[in-house]
Amino acid sequence: MADKNLRFLVVDDFSTMRRIVRNLLKELGFTNVDEAEDGQVALHKLKTQHFDFIVSDWNMPNMTGIELLKAVRADQQLKPLPFLMITAEAKRENIIEAAMAGASGYIVKPFTAATLEEKLNKIFQAINK
Amino acid sequence: MSEFGGMEELLQDFLMESNDLLSDVDNKLVELEKRPEDRALLNDIFRGFHTIKGGAGFLNVAPMVTLCHRTENLFDKLRNAELQLNPEVMDVILDATATVRDMFGTLGQGLMPKDADGGLLTTLDAVLSGRMPQAPAPQAAPAAPAAAAPAPAARQSNEPDWNTLYQAVVPAAAPDRTVVEAPAVVVAAESEPVTAVAPPRAPAPAKTTSVTKSASGGGHENTIRIDTNRLDMVLNLSGEIGLTKNRLTTLRTEILQGNNDSNTLRSLDEAISQLDLLVGDLQNAVMKTRMQPIGRLFQKYPRLARDLARQLGKDVELVLSGEETELDKTMIEDLNDPLVHLVRNAVDHGVESTAERITAGKKPQSLIQLTAEQVGDHILIEITDDGRGMNADALRRKAVEKGLIDAEAANALDEKQCLQLIFLPGFSTKDQISSVSGRGVGMDVVRTNIQKLNGRIDINSIPGEGTRISISLPLTLAILPVLVVRACNQPFAVPLAMVREIITIDPEAIQEVSGNPTIVVRDEILPLKTLAGLLGWAPTQKPGFGVLMQSAERSFILAIDSFVGRDDVVIKPLQNIRPKGVAGATLSGDGSVVLVLDMEDLLTAKDGMGGVVKTSELITI
Repeated sequence: MADKNLRFLVVDDFSTMRRIVRNLLKELGFTNVDEAEDGQVALHKLKTQHFDFIVSDWNMPNMTGIELLKAVRADQQLKPLPFLMITAEAKRENIIEAAMAGASGYIVKPFTAATLEEKLNKIFQAINK
Repeated sequence: MSEFGGMEELLQDFLMESNDLLSDVDNKLVELEKRPEDRALLNDIFRGFHTIKGGAGFLNVAPMVTLCHRTENLFDKLRNAELQLNPEVMDVILDATATVRDMFGTLGQGLMPKDADGGLLTTLDAVLSGRMPQAPAPQAAPAAPAAAAPAPAARQSNEPDWNTLYQAVVPAAAPDRTVVEAPAVVVAAESEPVTAVAPPRAPAPAKTTSVTKSASGGGHENTIRIDTNRLDMVLNLSGEIGLTKNRLTTLRTEILQGNNDSNTLRSLDEAISQLDLLVGDLQNAVMKTRMQPIGRLFQKYPRLARDLARQLGKDVELVLSGEETELDKTMIEDLNDPLVHLVRNAVDHGVESTAERITAGKKPQSLIQLTAEQVGDHILIEITDDGRGMNADALRRKAVEKGLIDAEAANALDEKQCLQLIFLPGFSTKDQISSVSGRGVGMDVVRTNIQKLNGRIDINSIPGEGTRISISLPLTLAILPVLVVRACNQPFAVPLAMVREIITIDPEAIQEVSGNPTIVVRDEILPLKTLAGLLGWAPTQKPGFGVLMQSAERSFILAIDSFVGRDDVVIKPLQNIRPKGVAGATLSGDGSVVLVLDMEDLLTAKDGMGGVVKTSELITI
């Protein structure tokens, strides 16, 4: 089982949504969570603080989730961070785009704690392999 | 069940945030009409619906998900230039926005909204498929997420994980599902593990009512967002007050033990002064937590003005300013109805049609400005139009025609007073009753509402140039500045907002005009009313002072025995009893109860004979 002290960064422009994701993570035992309201803020936080896991919405103003993902993967320091993309779309081309950009996983809104746990575990397994 | 513990709170948060978001979308739609090609605008609006859809999905509000999803698809096509924005498409979009807002309303009452009107969904689909509203065609929506997915093929064979991932993500999405069902299917499938919240296969509306019902709580918006800095301030101050209290407790012990030398007493004085300061600061800080920017209210109006102008065939631009001005939250809510009415009035009665404007040599588009600013300890809200203005004579004639005042009274009114006639119940200058305004129930209700907020409303108008309506409001209702006066050996508090000046009453100066006592102040003949008389009590002494009071349109002198001073009071409502003319009670510094007077109420209660005592009584007692 994953370390419950992992530090998460939840990125979403809608504060209700950040709260939802934060609550779901809390249910799964992850309480070390910080938030950012768009990709730019997130990137700044990632560069100045330590995080172990990024959970980001796709569609945001200023800097979208996919742009954030690309920026993270292009950064030598941040490159290895697991990145779970959240989106409202189950569109195939979106999923492929996220995959190509290096997303570790992809989850469609709305989801439950159980679904989130399943996605997280898949990512943890992939890392530990 | 813990999965969605705190759902009620979440719903409140969602509604508050989404309402703001939707108002923002509304304003952007008004902008979009001017710049239909603006991609940034289209993107923002797209994201608005997208975000609301996402939140609604978590709350299992399927009807909202469905509607937002289609509207979002529509904007996706618009921003990709697959569709052209025209007035018909715009109407559909505005209709959809209004429906989403209605759904927020239903949710706010803790109820699950019904599915959007079938006609609206059909029209949306028709627009999506590139046809204009006519035949129902629910299947034809090409932008359906599921329909866009053919059987997963081997195109990206290098990435084998992604096919499985894709299937994990969209477990039940059969390719030929209609767009209506697609989002719902995802909801159901993804929610399956949480049986308590979303039993699989249960019809969407049924499964969520149980959840949202518990969220009903109170009807009106009863949560508030507070800047944490402000909250910290309250915390700090209450901490400091605690420390000062400790200091006072120590000092009390010392004094009780007989140690009352000058040092101790000076410390006591210091501690009390400090407490005084801190309590003042705390009151301010607490008040600030209730302050909200008025922009949250203003932002609804450009859309309102636009819709109405379009309906009336006018070209109107509503310009806002001072949206950041802060006002007590309860006042903001109570201001909505009056402001809606004033905006509608300005569009309907205030400004002329484009043709009339051109004839009058004005620029075709009329301008309505809605501004807010803080002036001293008041908030000033003004709505100004550049329309035809008000004609004092026409107003006078109308009021007489309607039998609201008699001809003699009408002729005695000056121009400024004529404008005030529109506040009379039953006054309306439109002969025809329209759906917009003109039922004559408006302005008197507006004024009553403003007065309930301890505010004042004024009109200025120049024929041919426009009208300005000014509303002046106190910053908060929680603390009321008052003047404490004495009559019949009892203190009373009158709202300071109505006090213009204080004069001494010289019995020689009292003149009788048609049987009523009056005093001339700077050429203005003002009726003299004794407070005792207004209350219906027998006067105990000859009044020595007069308070020059100004209510909405009349000024008078309130005769009283003496003054206590000015004070900031917190009004406590009287339980179960409501004596005419009394707004509530408060405690004075010495601990006695002071009645706070509601002057308007007091005047109407006694109007006609109100406070009229024989002039001789005023002079001889």
